[in-house]
Amino acid sequence: MNDPYEILGVARTATDDEIRAAYRKLAKTHHPDLNPGKREAEEKFKAVSGAYALLSDADKRARFDRGEIDASGAEKPPERQFYRDFGEDRARAKYRPGTSGAFDADDLSSLFEEMFRQQGAGGGGREFARRGADSRYQLAVDFLDAANGAVRRLTLPDGSTLDVAIPAGLRDGQTLRLKGKGSPGTGKAPPGDALIEVSVRPHKLFRRDGNDVVIELPVTLKEAVLGAKVEAPTLSGTVTLTVPPRSSSGTRLRLKGRGIAGGHQFVELKVVLPKAEEPELEAFLKDWTPRHEFVPRKDREPT
Amino acid sequence: MMRLHAVLALFPDLEEAELSAWIEQRWVEPEHELGDGPVFREIDVARVHMIYDLRHRLDVHEETLPLVLSLVDQVYELRRNLKAMTRALDEQPSEIRGAILRALAGSERS
Repeated sequence: MNDPYEILGVARTATDDEIRAAYRKLAKTHHPDLNPGKREAEEKFKAVSGAYALLSDADKRARFDRGEIDASGAEKPPERQFYRDFGEDRARAKYRPGTSGAFDADDLSSLFEEMFRQQGAGGGGREFARRGADSRYQLAVDFLDAANGAVRRLTLPDGSTLDVAIPAGLRDGQTLRLKGKGSPGTGKAPPGDALIEVSVRPHKLFRRDGNDVVIELPVTLKEAVLGAKVEAPTLSGTVTLTVPPRSSSGTRLRLKGRGIAGGHQFVELKVVLPKAEEPELEAFLKDWTPRHEFVPRKDREPT
Repeated sequence: MMRLHAVLALFPDLEEAELSAWIEQRWVEPEHELGDGPVFREIDVARVHMIYDLRHRLDVHEETLPLVLSLVDQVYELRRNLKAMTRALDEQPSEIRGAILRALAGSERS
């Protein structure tokens, strides 16, 4: 039976209000999330939704009545996942009645504890106590804050705030545990912890390699050939760096102890040629014969 | 994993203010990333769908919704516990299972 009127149980002459009322009644009865134990609820709900989608659209309804389209001409509702597919998952922990504070923690483990309590102490009751649940959060921090350490304020969904101390040298993906900052415990039991998974945003200059920090530093041809003192950024401010004479692109200079937690900073030089025309330089190179034979691609020849 | 605007795009008539209010009341609890706004997992998106259906299609009154959600959450919790209990019973020797079934049948009659 594909007739949308039959599916909704209304007459072909039904008004829009009658159709809407019939749809609501059936959808309430058959919504899969309200019927976790009935597998067939999903099919019924989809049929009812499809019928309503057709009949609630005046244009489509008229075309159906004239026989121009059949019930399958109604748009299929887009595929979706119903809540009941997760309703009994572990992932659902945050939606468990106990954690909202509206109900006593009444899960299986407390059920068992209560059973054993009644059996054991002969009825004399020790107070039931259960540690609060851990709360999980995600936090993205800047590269420099992760390297140098910082305090960041996390705003929780309920509007309260949590100050998170980022230890210097924190790595991407590390989880911080704030003891006692999770959900409150039941009875005399302690609260749970807040678990904060921290991701570190990449930096446009610095790159991390273990405890070392690597940057690329552009230098001019003159600086590379003659040597120079140039300024280089580090985690703790700008330092002056000596570029030795005859430094090639790719030369790695080490700034001792300027990395993270005793690591070093490495500066990779990149020789950048002038953008504008330099006729004198070109004229010089044309006439120039090197004093020492030098073939830089010697070791790249296939053997 | 979806961002707030991707979730909003799933629905023709869901305003950002309404979804934000749902989050504020903890009807749905996406994870929070500092500065980047909430992140929705599959279960959160499914829950938004459910709340949307209840509010926009089934016409459940805003003040009634917490009651409905609380009952829904309790049902799922009970089903989870019952399944765990059933699994535990399933692992017991047949005489224990038999005794439990008899005891259940007895309590049904009374």
